[in-house]
Amino acid sequence: MADGVSPLVWKEEREISFMSKCHKAMKEKGLDTKLRNTVFHWVRTQNKQSKLDPLTSLTKASVQWEKRIHKSLNSMCSDLETSLAKFRFQSELEELAEKWNELSTYNLDLSKYRPVYAPKDFLEVLITLSGYVPFTKEDEPKWEFAHLPLQVKTLDQLRKIYIEWSNGEPLLGVSPNMPSQVNDFPTLEAERIGLGERVAALGYAPVIQEYLKRGSPQCLRAKLWAQVLGAEVSAQQISYFNQLKRSVLEVDLMIDKLIFKDVQLTASNDDQYFVFEDLLYQVMLCFSRDCEVMQQLRGSTGTPLTVAIKGRQTSADSVTVFPPSGIIPFHGFTMYATPFCYLYDDPVQLYFMFRAFYLRYWHRLHYISTHPQGIVSLCLLYERLLESNEPLLWIHFRNINVNPGHLPPEQLLLLWDSILGYDCLEILPLLSLAILSFRKENIFQVNTLQNVDAVLADLSTISVIPLLQLALMKP
Amino acid sequence: MTSSAKICTNGATSNGLKKRLHFCSDFDRSIVINTFLRHGWKEVSPEGDWNIYWSNTLNCRNLFMENRHRLQDNQLINHFPNHHELVRKDLLVKNFNRYRKELERNNHPLAEKIQVRDPSGRTVTRYLYLDFIPTTYILPTDYNLFLEEYRKSPQTTWILKPCGKSQGAGIILINKLSQLKKWSRESKKYLQHQLTSKDTYVISRYIDNPLLIGGKKFDLRIYVLVTSYRPLKAYMFRNGFCRFCSMKYDKSLTELDNVYVHLTNVSVQKHGEEYNESHGGKLGIQNLKLYLQGTRGSDVTKRLFEDIQWLIVHSLKAVAPVMLNDRHCFECYGYDIIIDTDLKPWLIEVNASPSMVGTTENDRILKNRLVDNILSVVLPPNGIPDARWNKTPSSDALGDFDVLIDEDLIYKDNIAQLARETGQGPMRK
Repeated sequence: MADGVSPLVWKEEREISFMSKCHKAMKEKGLDTKLRNTVFHWVRTQNKQSKLDPLTSLTKASVQWEKRIHKSLNSMCSDLETSLAKFRFQSELEELAEKWNELSTYNLDLSKYRPVYAPKDFLEVLITLSGYVPFTKEDEPKWEFAHLPLQVKTLDQLRKIYIEWSNGEPLLGVSPNMPSQVNDFPTLEAERIGLGERVAALGYAPVIQEYLKRGSPQCLRAKLWAQVLGAEVSAQQISYFNQLKRSVLEVDLMIDKLIFKDVQLTASNDDQYFVFEDLLYQVMLCFSRDCEVMQQLRGSTGTPLTVAIKGRQTSADSVTVFPPSGIIPFHGFTMYATPFCYLYDDPVQLYFMFRAFYLRYWHRLHYISTHPQGIVSLCLLYERLLESNEPLLWIHFRNINVNPGHLPPEQLLLLWDSILGYDCLEILPLLSLAILSFRKENIFQVNTLQNVDAVLADLSTISVIPLLQLALMKP
Repeated sequence: MTSSAKICTNGATSNGLKKRLHFCSDFDRSIVINTFLRHGWKEVSPEGDWNIYWSNTLNCRNLFMENRHRLQDNQLINHFPNHHELVRKDLLVKNFNRYRKELERNNHPLAEKIQVRDPSGRTVTRYLYLDFIPTTYILPTDYNLFLEEYRKSPQTTWILKPCGKSQGAGIILINKLSQLKKWSRESKKYLQHQLTSKDTYVISRYIDNPLLIGGKKFDLRIYVLVTSYRPLKAYMFRNGFCRFCSMKYDKSLTELDNVYVHLTNVSVQKHGEEYNESHGGKLGIQNLKLYLQGTRGSDVTKRLFEDIQWLIVHSLKAVAPVMLNDRHCFECYGYDIIIDTDLKPWLIEVNASPSMVGTTENDRILKNRLVDNILSVVLPPNGIPDARWNKTPSSDALGDFDVLIDEDLIYKDNIAQLARETGQGPMRK
């Protein structure tokens, strides 16, 4: 018998058995999930957009906006007689290092610092994108984005994307206490926890993404979010974070003051986030030093300044990209990090989640481009949705994006579940529309812009997911 | 808002009389007065024909001592005459110890004990279910007992509080016996002549492993409304809050006398440099829950909140037998609770007159709602105070209160259960 087996067949068998053994071993060690997740995350980071934006008017506006910001930074520096970047003195470095865990006690005179720009300034730029503002009477609608040749989805197309929501499937953010449709669980929440625990144990990112569509229970969110964005922390991340910290300690960037100011203006005075103030200083300062942010966003942010670091002329490394992350914070930037404080108490994990979320989603809201998830497309989508679904409601309302600070943290977390689950930002314009519709009666009763703002300013009582599902379900 | 409308219109129209309800308050400029006025009540003096008297504790005690006969069926007052049994630190400890001993004597399963190892490695016996007040001794009475305990674990930090004071006044932290001796020498100099209850102190084990959020210590303020002690009827307000210290927690000895690190009382923190006017160091309890679920998981969070309810119920049961259960009384207590790093809640103290002044906008909203809901729970459905009412509010009237315990309902349930089991009840048709 042994003679009858040709060496070739034997070799093949051996290969097959090696393959299956290898496969088995990988499965046992969880390597296959790791490998698959790596491919998943890699594919998602590949920038499919061509380098040049097809709309030259947008490219031009984008460059001009960036120039304006840089100019404003430079003039702030000369007004305050400081420089964009300088090495810290030893004594300053030591004090900062000593107070690293308690930066709220680090005394800085910030009275002369103002945010470089507020979301409203950016919105004004967006509104005048083509340089053409149609003339209309005071009470007639002004269509701001309609003339841009961009494709955006209709409500019906959105319904097909958010199919689970439009089909009226039970969502955790709607009624956690409703009876479960699965036998073994008393409530929807119990059912979601049961399923979520299995999904988290499996650890396969696409499955987690699918799971998040119907909402995650708060107790599993920290784990699931880190898994779906590949933002888990290991020794490598910890040492990288410490590197960023060292860079904050060594070099004094002018925007550090702006970051301090922003945390103070947002989190420190907010009764939902003040407790987390010290964590947020660390996270936001480190973010500004993270050159991986700029590398990963190449082509979807502008071209940052390069400046000399004052104080050590001879050294070769005394030139820096300003800031190394390429991101200049605006008033309220910290709000992108605050909800994570309800999930992570470790600054490193908090940092990498915030960064991953920014890299995947939020940067799109601050760069002028034709990207379908970019701010221009989202504004246009909002306008189209309003035009076709609430034509009467189209008054000159300029708050396009809901300021996230105004929704309570629990609501924000549910909203961000859906951004991760459906991996797109179109939910934001839809939410704006849904809120407008919901407050329609009150809006019709007031006639000044200020009063409209007042009607929409207090979002503390809004339940976002029921509103959104209502908007997505067919009448 | 619906409850306010109900109270006002019903009060005015029942019996066809245009009767207007009257209240009296010992506090000026507070949320209490505004709430009554909003409901259409008229303010009168303590001598007037009030229907509800929102008194301070002293006036309430005097009222019961002087002319108890005067209280009519349509008059309610916001304190029990001997509330100090629960509120004064030494009496609470006395009552609670007696409650545990009685249960133990009756071999009650609640009084089960276990052996645990304390941080210094010593094996100690503790109650399994009824261990939620830090070990406490009354000074000067229990000084020798305290010394004995002190010698067993000399590393423990102790907190010394005067019994008759509140808002953090007169509190000191002690970790060396010499400090206590020095204190007792000095205080004797001043206090020898006037031996009143104010000279009694309690010394308790200091919870030196408090749960920290953002590196800061906090305690919980939870509002509990009691409308009757026998049968016990108690309600917990859903919207309590955490009160944060404005400075980072630091166990080191150098910071031991820094009140801004250790004491969470708003009246103390307000004087600190870091005190913030817009949030006043207060975080809503619902946000605490969200944070704990997110960072610690849902099971431990759920257990913590159940333990808190447990703690409140048994502190009330401990004083129920000694309370003068006057039917004209209700009382809203401010419970101060500290959570340690193992998510175990500890009862620190109970206040009978929690502050009804709003320190921030949200605080005002919360306290308005609290007083509103207190009124709708203590008033019968027709809105007119009635001491003979069975004090069983409808679920609508509860507002943001949850029923902690209602022994009437438990009793009824038991009867129904018994009836079902013996085949006499309506269930067996």
